[in-house]
Amino acid sequence: MIRHTTLLFLLVAGALSVALFSIKYKVQDLEQELAFLNKSIYQERQSIHVLKAEWSFLNNPERLGSLARRHLHMGPVLPAQLATLEEVGSLQDGISIASLSTAAEARQ
Amino acid sequence: MMQRSSVHLEGDIKQALETGRNRLLVTGVVFMIAFVAISARLVDLTVFGPPSRPLIAHVAAAAPNVVSRSDIVDRNGVILATSLPSASLFADPREIMNAAEAAAKLVKVLPDLTYSEILAKLDSGSRFVWLSRNLTPNQQYQVNRLGIPGLAFRHGERRVYPQGREAAHILGLTDIDGNGIAGIEKHFSDALKNAAQPLQLSIDIRIQSLLRQQLMDSVAEFKARGAAGAIVDVQTGEVMAMVSLPDFDPNQPSSMRGDAGFNRVTKGVYEMGSTFKLFTTAMALDSNTIGLKDGYDTSKPIRIARFTINDYHGKNRWLSVSEILKYSSNIGSAKMAMDVGAKAQRFYLDHLGLLHPSEIELPEIGIPQYPQRWGDISTMTISYGHGLAVSPLQMAGATAALVNGGIRRPVSLLKHRGMEAPEGERVLTTGTSDKMRDLMRLVVTDGTGKNANAAGYQVGGKTGTAEKQVGGQYAKKALISSFVGAFPMNDPRYVVIAMLDEPKGTKRTFNYATGGWVAAPIVGRTIAAMGPLLGMLPNRQNDGKDALPRLASISGARHLETF
Repeated sequence: MIRHTTLLFLLVAGALSVALFSIKYKVQDLEQELAFLNKSIYQERQSIHVLKAEWSFLNNPERLGSLARRHLHMGPVLPAQLATLEEVGSLQDGISIASLSTAAEARQ
Repeated sequence: MMQRSSVHLEGDIKQALETGRNRLLVTGVVFMIAFVAISARLVDLTVFGPPSRPLIAHVAAAAPNVVSRSDIVDRNGVILATSLPSASLFADPREIMNAAEAAAKLVKVLPDLTYSEILAKLDSGSRFVWLSRNLTPNQQYQVNRLGIPGLAFRHGERRVYPQGREAAHILGLTDIDGNGIAGIEKHFSDALKNAAQPLQLSIDIRIQSLLRQQLMDSVAEFKARGAAGAIVDVQTGEVMAMVSLPDFDPNQPSSMRGDAGFNRVTKGVYEMGSTFKLFTTAMALDSNTIGLKDGYDTSKPIRIARFTINDYHGKNRWLSVSEILKYSSNIGSAKMAMDVGAKAQRFYLDHLGLLHPSEIELPEIGIPQYPQRWGDISTMTISYGHGLAVSPLQMAGATAALVNGGIRRPVSLLKHRGMEAPEGERVLTTGTSDKMRDLMRLVVTDGTGKNANAAGYQVGGKTGTAEKQVGGQYAKKALISSFVGAFPMNDPRYVVIAMLDEPKGTKRTFNYATGGWVAAPIVGRTIAAMGPLLGMLPNRQNDGKDALPRLASISGARHLETF
């Protein structure tokens, strides 16, 4: 009986240690992956940070203004170009469409 | 087995066996308890183990900030100042094998460096020399690609201002160690260190940019020494834009030297001239010294002691209160101030925030200058803006109180959060504020401020032209020309002030360099540009002089009862 029990315990102990080691290595691998991921997250955040600064630089109002003038022939919105929905509806009656288009032409 | 246990043993042997069995049993039980305890703990840790789980999330969340100094953003979240990771290149000359070759390669990648300097550094034989500070990531990559042994990088961070000069005087800048040395950077230097959230300003960079553009155009046209401008939200006291010219590029600290580093909006104090007549009129109306239908005889100059007070646009007749503002009469204002009295004048100016330094969150703040002895002469000259020097920003803040219903709120560069307007101090009655709105509108429709009009936005305001004191004397040719206005006058939202320092008249302005000719157009154009930007619908129906039937009919007719 004792021999059987010993054998059983030896088997169990063997199985447990194999499981333990495999789990240990798995955890080690996972930790390595975590560290790698954290590092890449940090690097990504750093590049996002730099890109945000570049975005702000590229969106400088003065720069956008000159680009829009040069390539799109657009300018700042004039007060005369603002209208409410009701006014747009009444444009069909030809009341003030002339004034709007002259305002747009005057700028070009 | 049964066979063996049934064997009968006697005496000492039996005793010894019995003891051995008992000992085994006890040991077995002890081991059993230990194993049970261990497995229980194992089950506890693996199955019911929540305490260990947050640890992982915690590690991920606590990743260090990318940079140590937080960003400064405008009211819409556009980045105005940020810190970028940077690398600085240094060398250990003893490890460099071929100094000449290394220097030649480096100069190709980093054109800012000169070959002879680098060679001298690499030949120095010391163990450490800086080669180049604050490289861009691209430059760093290229240096790495050279593969020269003995070169290495030290990582740090560098403050950059993506919007360049646009908001230079507001932001200020930092020194090479990242400590603020001017502007917002200095005022909030400690708060910016390791703050998780960016610092949000009340500035709108689009409006800032267009105000700056308008001021730059006018500085160029009138060859002015400098200019100042500000836009303030009348309900909250938030500064939407603030420009001082000449300005500097905070990315290049050396450009800040001299006049360019001087903030004319907050640090500079100037005798603002006729724009002060707004305050004189407001205090006279508010203290019930006069009513709108009253007026003064302005036909003769006032002579007091060795001074003579004269009118620039002289009408030489009786003028009503609205006409005194409209034609900017010094004589009328001086008489009005004398009726109000020195004490009340001082009280009102103090409560409008004109006698103590501005509360703005900047280190560059000018201290207002006014006479210690506030006698009759001072009362008269201050009534039309001479003898008392304030900063343009103080003017904007006080004007906001005139038109917003009479409540003064400190001007601020931080974005106001929450729906309610911040609490302020009531300095004028709502009625006085209403009258001031009408009067300011009248100056633009009929008076000296016609050039400030922006179709549909009902601009109101006042022109000001003051002679600068040069060596204790007023210099005829050196002017401070300004315009302070607000819009739309039926429900004011923003105060806009523009000031030019020593403008010269041109042919187009018939050689005039007065506030009405040089500063009023800046305000008009700025409002015409910022209105659509903020989605403010111009009022086309109600935009003429007819908007103010109450005032349009009292000109010179002193007995007309229009109210």
